[in-house]
Amino acid sequence: MDREGKGRKKTYITELTIVLAVIVAGAALQIVTGPFNSAIVRFPANAVFLLIFLVAAALPPNSVVARLGTLSLSVILISSFLILSLIMGLIPQSGIVNSWPFALTYLMLLTNLVLVAGRRARAFRLKDSGFMLNHAGLFILLFSAGFGSADSGKYFMTVYEGRVEWRGENIKTGQIDELPVAILLKNFDMEEYFPKSIIIDKRSGDAIPSYDWVIVSDSLVDNDNHAPAAYIRASNNKTGDKYEGWVSCGNYSQPFRVLDLTERICVAMAYPEPKSFSSEIEVKRERGSSKSGVVQVNHPLTVGSWKIYQYSYDMQKGRDSGYSVFQLVHDPWLIPAYIGIFMLFIGSVTLFWKGGKR
Amino acid sequence: MSWNEFIYFAAAALVLWFSGVVALYLFKKRYFSDLLISAGLIVFASFIVLLWIWLKHPPLRTMGETRLWYSFFLVIVGYLTYLRWRYKWLVAYSTLVSAVFILINLLKPEIHTANLMPALQSPWFVPHVTVYILAYAMMGAATIAALIALYGSSAESEKLINMIDNLVYIGLAFLMAGILMGALWAKAAWGDYWSWDIKETWALITVCAYLLYIHSRRGGYSRKITLWIIPIGFVLLMITWLGVSYLPAAQGSIHVY
Repeated sequence: MDREGKGRKKTYITELTIVLAVIVAGAALQIVTGPFNSAIVRFPANAVFLLIFLVAAALPPNSVVARLGTLSLSVILISSFLILSLIMGLIPQSGIVNSWPFALTYLMLLTNLVLVAGRRARAFRLKDSGFMLNHAGLFILLFSAGFGSADSGKYFMTVYEGRVEWRGENIKTGQIDELPVAILLKNFDMEEYFPKSIIIDKRSGDAIPSYDWVIVSDSLVDNDNHAPAAYIRASNNKTGDKYEGWVSCGNYSQPFRVLDLTERICVAMAYPEPKSFSSEIEVKRERGSSKSGVVQVNHPLTVGSWKIYQYSYDMQKGRDSGYSVFQLVHDPWLIPAYIGIFMLFIGSVTLFWKGGKR
Repeated sequence: MSWNEFIYFAAAALVLWFSGVVALYLFKKRYFSDLLISAGLIVFASFIVLLWIWLKHPPLRTMGETRLWYSFFLVIVGYLTYLRWRYKWLVAYSTLVSAVFILINLLKPEIHTANLMPALQSPWFVPHVTVYILAYAMMGAATIAALIALYGSSAESEKLINMIDNLVYIGLAFLMAGILMGALWAKAAWGDYWSWDIKETWALITVCAYLLYIHSRRGGYSRKITLWIIPIGFVLLMITWLGVSYLPAAQGSIHVY
C-alpha cells in the first residue's frame, strides 16, 4: 500500500454499499427500460464522457470524487466484474453484456481506473511506469471497446463473381444498409484438403474403427467441378475378403458412392475440409480512390477506416462457390484500442520483470 | 532435409536440454547449463531453418509444424524466465513439456500433413499458446505454494508469501500477453478483438481472479482469505483451458474445433 492511507478496512463497507446500490439501480433500470442499448453513448456522447473522465483525472479531486478512485473500490469492482463475467461464462444467454448492471459496473470501473491513473500521473516517478502503462492502457482499451463500440459498424456482404455489391446486412440490427464502399468480386479461389476415406456403420452413418480391414486408396480424382473420388482396395486381415471400387463423397451435382464391405459396414469418403479460401476484389469508395487486393482468413484488406474480412462462401458448392461472403467492419476507435493493447503489452513485460517486488 | 531427419535433431536437442537441467541442479556455476541449453536451442533451430528452406515457406501450416515451435519457444522463454528469477523447476518443466510435443511429433507423423484450418494459420497461434502454457506453470506453482502457506505454520506462510506474489505477477504477465495476442489475432481473423466468445469470457474471468489477488494483497485484507483466491483462480484457469469445451455454453464457440 505504497501511497494510500490506512484504515481502509473500515471504509470498504461504504464502497461495497455504493457498488451494490448502483448495481441494484441498474437492475431496476433494466426492468423499467429494458436492456442497455449502446447506441445512447454514440458520438458525441462518448466524447463528452471521455472529457469528463479526463477532467476528473487531471484535477486534484475533492473528497467525494477521490472516494471513487480508492483501492478498496478497485477490489470490489474487480470482484463485481468477476461475478458478472462468471454468470456470462456459465449462461451466455443471460444477456449480461447488454444489461444495465453490467454497463454501470463497466462505467464505475472506468471511473476508478482513470482516477487511479490520474493520481499516479500527478505525482509521477519513473518507477511508476509499469503501473501507468497497465492502468492507463487498460482504461484506453476498455473505453475504446466499450464506449467506442457504439460508433462501430459491422456488416455481412455477399458478392457474386464478376458482380459489384454495395448493400450489406447490418449485424447489429439485421437490416440491409447501403454502404459507402462497394466490392467487385473478381475471383473466388478455394483449396480443399483431399478427403479421407473412412469405414462407416451403414445404419448410423458414424465412422467406426476397424482393425481387421486394410484400406488402400489410389487413383485419386480431384478436379474442379467434380466431386473428389478415390479408387479403394479393401482387404480383411482375418477372412482374406477383398473388395475394390470407386468411392466419392459426392457434391452438389454428383451423388456419393460407397464401397460395401459387409452388410453392416462400408467404405465412404468424408467431406473435404477447406485448406484456404480467398477472394480477389476491387473496393470502390464513394469518395477517394479504389483499391484492389486479395482477402483471406487472417488477412483482411484495409480501405480507409474499413476492414474487409473473408467470412464465408457457398458451403454446398465448396470450391465451386459462385459467391463470397465478406464481413465489413468500420471502427473509428480501433487505433486507440490498439494503443491500449500496446501499452498493456509493455505493461505486462514490466509485470514479468519486476515480479511481486514492492 | 525433411521430417525424416527430425528424430536426430530432436534427440540431440533433448539430450542437451536435459543435461542442461541436470547441470543446473548439480553445479553452482551457471556456465554449463547456459552452454548446454544454448547448444540444444541451436540444434533445434537448425532443424527449423532447414525445414523452412526445404518447405520453401515458414513451417507454420500444420499441427506438427506448430508443435515444433512450441518445443522451441517453451525452452527459450522458460530459460529466460530462469535467468531473471532463478526458478530451476521452470526450466525442468519447460523442457518436459517441450519433450512431450517432440514425442507427439515423432509418434504421430500424420500431423505433419494434416493441415490447419484457415483461421488457425496465423503467426499469433504459436506465441499465444506458448505464453499460456507458461502461465499454467507459474499459476500451478503459485497454487501449490499457496496451499502450503494456508495449511502450514505461519512461519512457513511468511517465508512463502513473497514467492507467491512473485509467481502470480509473472503468471499474470503471461496471461495478459496471451489474452492480448488473442485479441490481435481475433481482430485479424474475425474482425473483432473481443466478441464475448465463451473462451474469451473465461480467459477474462481468470485474469480478474488474479487481479483480485494482486489488489487484495495491496489492500491489506486478511491474508488467509486473500491466499484462497489463488487455488480458486487456478480452478478457473483449468476451466478456461480444458473445461470450456464441455460447458453447454460452448456451442458455437470459435475456440472449439
